[in-house]
Amino acid sequence: MAVTTYSGAEQYNFDIVKKFAVMSLVWAVIGMLVGVYIASELAWPFLNFDSPYFSFGRFRPVHTTSVIFGFGGSALFATSYYVVQRTCQTRLISDGMASFTFWGWMAAIVLADFSYVLGYTQSREYAEMEWPIDILIELVWVTYLIVFVGTIMRRKQPHIYVANWFYLSFILATALLHTFNNLAMPIDLFSMKSYSLFSGTQDAMTQWWYGHNAVGFFLTAAFLGMMYYFVPKQAGRPIYSYRLSIVHFWALSFMYMWVGGHHLHWTALPDWTSSLAAAFSILLLMPSWGGMINGIMTLSGAWDKMRTDPVMRFMIVALSFYGMSTFEGPMMSLKEVNALSHYTDWTVGHVHSGALGWVAMISFGSLYHMMPKLWDTRIYSRRLVEWHFWLATIGIVLYIVAMWISGITQGLMWRAFDEFGNLQYSFAESVAAMMPFYAMRAIGGMFFLTGTVLMAFNMFMTIRQGKRESAALDAKLAAKMAHA
Amino acid sequence: MSEQKLQSQTVQTTGHAWDGDLQEYNNPLPVWWVYTFYATVIFSIIYWVIYPSWPIGKDWIGGLSKITYVNSAGETRTHSWNTRALLLKDLNQAAAEQKPYFDKVSSMSYEQIAKDPEMNGFILSAGKALFADNCAPCHQAGGQGVVAFFPNLTDDDWLYGGSFDKIHETLMGGRRGYMPAFSDVLAGEQIDQLANYVAKLSGIGHDATKAAAGDVLFHSETAACYYCHSSDARGRKDIGAPNLTDNIWLWANVPATDAAEGKVAAIRSVIANGLNKGVMPAWAGRLSPEQIKVLTVYVHELGGGQ
Repeated sequence: MAVTTYSGAEQYNFDIVKKFAVMSLVWAVIGMLVGVYIASELAWPFLNFDSPYFSFGRFRPVHTTSVIFGFGGSALFATSYYVVQRTCQTRLISDGMASFTFWGWMAAIVLADFSYVLGYTQSREYAEMEWPIDILIELVWVTYLIVFVGTIMRRKQPHIYVANWFYLSFILATALLHTFNNLAMPIDLFSMKSYSLFSGTQDAMTQWWYGHNAVGFFLTAAFLGMMYYFVPKQAGRPIYSYRLSIVHFWALSFMYMWVGGHHLHWTALPDWTSSLAAAFSILLLMPSWGGMINGIMTLSGAWDKMRTDPVMRFMIVALSFYGMSTFEGPMMSLKEVNALSHYTDWTVGHVHSGALGWVAMISFGSLYHMMPKLWDTRIYSRRLVEWHFWLATIGIVLYIVAMWISGITQGLMWRAFDEFGNLQYSFAESVAAMMPFYAMRAIGGMFFLTGTVLMAFNMFMTIRQGKRESAALDAKLAAKMAHA
Repeated sequence: MSEQKLQSQTVQTTGHAWDGDLQEYNNPLPVWWVYTFYATVIFSIIYWVIYPSWPIGKDWIGGLSKITYVNSAGETRTHSWNTRALLLKDLNQAAAEQKPYFDKVSSMSYEQIAKDPEMNGFILSAGKALFADNCAPCHQAGGQGVVAFFPNLTDDDWLYGGSFDKIHETLMGGRRGYMPAFSDVLAGEQIDQLANYVAKLSGIGHDATKAAAGDVLFHSETAACYYCHSSDARGRKDIGAPNLTDNIWLWANVPATDAAEGKVAAIRSVIANGLNKGVMPAWAGRLSPEQIKVLTVYVHELGGGQ
């Protein structure tokens, strides 16, 4: 690529950012496609085709791994490398190490997806990868930490920008979580199968300490980092409150580590553990909202952008869903509410209001801001961005509403007793009652996926346009030089 | 809110700038945010006081909320809030509601239960829950069964008899259906003849010549089908040998195809390979005598009790 852009191909390593940005969209399409497929399997079970390779149990981790680590992870790598370089005004400390994080991360996700389909799993939610893949991830992650910290240490600015605090806490916490939750003994050096070092209640507790902090640091803190750079950039306004950013950063980082136990209400986990976690979840509400307030208030005085700028709209809707799901979460963590919501689709809906509404929408907004800049051009089609926005928003609403209704219906059916003190419904009856909502959820997913495909096409055309423009510019320059 | 908005226009930034134009205002924490945070702190403290919360050494703070329940030894206990005590309390309550009905079930005869409208309501309710938890995995939620696997309980065709006592016997001791494989002792041609005869018995399309030969074989000592299925082919309920004349099929999946050829083939397959899979587990010991009695009446009422 003989492209020299003024945005600084020498000053910054944008090549690695471009790679991760493109792969983030590729994984988004793959992961959401698998998501729509498994949602359809629940509504129309013939789609299992009586084959273990197509079954929900094996495809589900393919979906979660591809969207969380493939799409979300790549978007975080891309934006964190972009933000840390721009806000520290320095190049990544090592192109080689950054490149290793790219190829290592991609290999880990591809290997994980294939291993699930073949039936290998640790049976730990969001940490299904077996031990060889875990070791690869560990290597990638430590390298990521070194690159990120090293780059911050070489910064040309005295102060570290707030976005970088959030990215750094995400990288540090993920390293801790990944290491301790995956402590396991392989049954043989040449076998994929391993057993966890923990057992029973400790095993469950370790898993949900991991699981909830993966939500807290991977899916929340990191994307808040993204928000803290791209929202003020896109709005062209300063962050609303520096003080709020400090207070909510430390409160968030401190509180999150306590709350994993709320996933294990009404189980064999000692009751004090889960009620302690429930109270910390309530304490977490305002620290979580600090980020939403800072993001939304940053826009105050520029509200017209909501009307005129579809990229800004992605970000604001993302913040709204963030606020909604971080309110819903603490409510669901209370014992009495959890007695109704536990094991139901309500939980699935809650996760997706965070995952689709917050994580995906803020990533889309940030990528729409960043990708044209990387290729030094404009967005190919703003109309397609508008279409994407509406498809995604309608998709999320269909999804969440379907899961609210089906989740609460399930919860009520499971606990319903008749006048003789007998259970009123059998489990199979509650499954049958879910059918219309499963169909509605699958349709919501199809809307969301369609929007993502439009975005992938739009960004593909944007990149092509950027390359053509710079080629034309180069040709012009060459011609001028020849004349001179 | 609007006041704050105006305020933010006049507030100073921190004086730093990153990446060209990135700056931060130094706005104070929103007042409502701070007070709501304090409110969550108070809420948490109350929550910790009510429910078990902080660990102390190897023990933990039990909390003010108490639960009284009866344990399995029949002793009344009061304990600080915990999931297990709550479950026992709920089970105590449900058991107390059900007890008068179960007491009646024990003391009444099947016929009395079936005729009593109130008891009928209880049987429908308790029987449905018991059936769904224990029987539906094989016999399906409505009791319709699965052809080639599990018997239909909603018709009036019974392998071992459909009286209250027979159903009770089946539930208590379980059943094991067995038919020997004839492919070792009969020629393929003979099995084909028998299959056509069995098809004829139920009025299904068949080859008349083969069926006539099958008739002879059926009653001969060579095949000896009549030993179990009896001379009139109406089966023997004492050993669970099915009636072959009623066009009701459990093992041979005759309804699966419309073609006469396929129907005969399904019958042929059963005769050739025999059966050793008709296992129903025994429920005595797994369910209480009252529960089995409830299920007996429930199954009897599903459609075809005799």
